[in-house]
Amino acid sequence: MHHMLHIKNGIVIDTKNGIKAEKMDIFVKEGKIVEESEIDKSQCKVIDASNKLVVAGGVDMHAHIAGSKINTGRTMRPEEMRMVRQIANKFRASVGRVLLTSPAIGYEYAKMGYTTSFEAAQPPIGALHTHEELDAIPMVDKAALPVFGNWHFVFKYVAENDIEKLKTFIAWAIERTKGFGVKVVNPGGVEAWMYGGNCRSLDDEVPNFGVTPREIITSLIKATEELNLCHSVHLHCNNLGNPGNFETTIETMKLANGFSNDKRQVLHVTHVQFNAYAGSSWRDVGSGAAEIAKVVNGMDNVTIDMGAAIFGHATAMTGDAPFQFTLHKLLGARWSNKDSEVEGGAGIVPIMYLPKNPVHALQWAIGLELGLLVESDKVVLTTDFPNGGPFTEYPYVMAMLMSKKMREKELERVSPYVQKAANLPSIDAEKTLDEVMHMTRALSARVLGLENKGHLGVGADADISIYDFNPNEIDTSNDYEIINKAFRNALYTIKGGVIIVKEGQLVDEVWGTTYWVDATNKVDTEAIEEDLDKYFELYYSVEKEHYGVEEAWIKNPTRLVMG
Amino acid sequence: MLVIKPKVDFVVTVEAEITPDLAEDLEKAKNFEVYYGKDKVKLKELFEITKEGDDKKLVLDGDFSKVKWIGCRMEDGEIVVKGNVGANCGAYMKGGKITIEGNADDWLGAEMSSGEIVVKGNVKNCVGCAYYGDMQGMKGGKITIEGNAINYIGEKMAGGEIEIKGNAGDFIGTEMTNGLIVIHGDCGFVGGDMKGGEIRIGGKFELMPTFKKSEEGFVGDVNVGGKGVVKTL
Ligand SMILES: [Zn+2]
Repeated sequence: MHHMLHIKNGIVIDTKNGIKAEKMDIFVKEGKIVEESEIDKSQCKVIDASNKLVVAGGVDMHAHIAGSKINTGRTMRPEEMRMVRQIANKFRASVGRVLLTSPAIGYEYAKMGYTTSFEAAQPPIGALHTHEELDAIPMVDKAALPVFGNWHFVFKYVAENDIEKLKTFIAWAIERTKGFGVKVVNPGGVEAWMYGGNCRSLDDEVPNFGVTPREIITSLIKATEELNLCHSVHLHCNNLGNPGNFETTIETMKLANGFSNDKRQVLHVTHVQFNAYAGSSWRDVGSGAAEIAKVVNGMDNVTIDMGAAIFGHATAMTGDAPFQFTLHKLLGARWSNKDSEVEGGAGIVPIMYLPKNPVHALQWAIGLELGLLVESDKVVLTTDFPNGGPFTEYPYVMAMLMSKKMREKELERVSPYVQKAANLPSIDAEKTLDEVMHMTRALSARVLGLENKGHLGVGADADISIYDFNPNEIDTSNDYEIINKAFRNALYTIKGGVIIVKEGQLVDEVWGTTYWVDATNKVDTEAIEEDLDKYFELYYSVEKEHYGVEEAWIKNPTRLVMG
Repeated sequence: MLVIKPKVDFVVTVEAEITPDLAEDLEKAKNFEVYYGKDKVKLKELFEITKEGDDKKLVLDGDFSKVKWIGCRMEDGEIVVKGNVGANCGAYMKGGKITIEGNADDWLGAEMSSGEIVVKGNVKNCVGCAYYGDMQGMKGGKITIEGNAINYIGEKMAGGEIEIKGNAGDFIGTEMTNGLIVIHGDCGFVGGDMKGGEIRIGGKFELMPTFKKSEEGFVGDVNVGGKGVVKTL
């Protein structure tokens, strides 16, 4: 339940507000962080945070937590469901190894002190299913990003060079799907896959549409910026998962040149680990992370997330259907292919990252290299759950970024191929605790355009995590085991002012909100009505009137009207 | 040796991963935790347990048809079930011996890697199979069934031996890579996607059309480039 809270004597790191491990008190009322004067001390619950780290709740800006992909993954992988985390009691049953059930997703985030997570690829026609599943995830705030990069409407307006209609369509589509922003997955490539092809370079033409990935990406950035959506275009690049693809990635990032936004990036390139391979085949594949880092560091309008690979079980699931087929052929593993009508597709393939496998070890190294070589204000910590591994391993990644000693120890157990093909063994950089807190909180919130998340200033949401160590006493280079352990089990997780985790154990269940973005005030949907009618009649399996999700169907929606 | 007798007729299934290790310490055995439906209870709440002698052996006396996972992951010692036994008996077994004097349920010896299981009666489905989603079924050891079995025998089997003295149903040795299945009686479909190993059948059976006749018997499944052998006893 809601209390007024007084978090006393904690050591606060709040990078957005320039607070670097300072002893201070935090006050909470009605789910928000407030000034001390707003609190009635006689009514307020005091949490003694003496000598403990106090930070904002973690914000995961890219994970696959709801919708047809993870659900198909669960169906395909019954073996994932043999790990029982919790039997139904005060809390709901929680099951799953990496492909967690919906309740397990919320609970596991909460235990780590994460309080927000965004589904990063929602097939638009599956929006209702995605929201039903998001509604089944407790503890965290959430949202979903519909995919635009292979939608026939997008191709049409890009081909006609009609940015006004493209903007109108984006606003219409985000409202209909109750989505949050513009996700783009292998633009054009998934349409080409419908005919067995792909678009591996920015200038490969999309069959039958006469447009290229370059044009699609540029037009979508332009439309998103003119609509001034809170989140930028969020891009899964072409040519993902292929040796030599780092050049495509760099070329793609440069498409952001000429666009700017005062508040945030204009292009977020996601799970870059999968797009940072040098070489010409799997025999001579290497790391392209340093080259990519140089480009990102030199631009002020592009951000990335790591997409780190973790040794152990994972499941590749992306809207990049042709890549998933390639992976299936490469691994000989199970494969599911999805077709979401005229909007795109997807694929799912189980994978296990093995330390002694040269390619897997290289992927592991590249993810970390990106985290280390890219400036901390431009790279968010992710594993592209469940593609690179479980989000429950974020603490491992945090500890690795902060400790060269830990990395040296880990390097001993991985394939020696990494020594010649990757940069990791020669990287001395260690991120500071401030930087890692920034990469998991303030930065991810800023990338998404969530002003009330990722910091502890007055007015922010009271999403707070407290960890069991003193940031002023810990030696992050040497105490990596303490770091790795502490971030797995928050001493306290507070969500919207409610204590939900204490000493790593769930103590209360809350239901976060689902954010959705409404930009329809900026366009006149009349302009595309005729096109919509025609496409729905000719190509869709549902009527236009039955397409989409009404706000009233969502458990706890928050509508964000774009200014 | 421990003698374990059910105190009541079970309303829901019991999940009891009991192994001969329990015979070493009566108190530990009595307090061993098992699930009765969704409730975690102590073994002594459901069963009467008495100790007789020091050998590493469990004698399960009574109806255990609703008790699952008996002998799961056991490494040595012996279990004798006087009556029927529930599903997953001997799953992931690594050694020792289980003798079932009555009938066994599904998933007998699933994914076992060593040891021996003998059933005097009949067995249901999925003998020595891989659990759904796993890559390998039985990898070693021996399962002997005096009576009949139903469907799915040795799916994804990678080693060891299954011998059925009676008849069996469909899907024998599907996706099998190694090991031996012997069926003395009749059975249905045999060898789909078989990659290796051998199946010997005494009675009538239906072979997939994707096997080639050779001196050894029938070799296939050619659909997967398999070198499995199916022949008559
Ligand atoms: Zn992703």
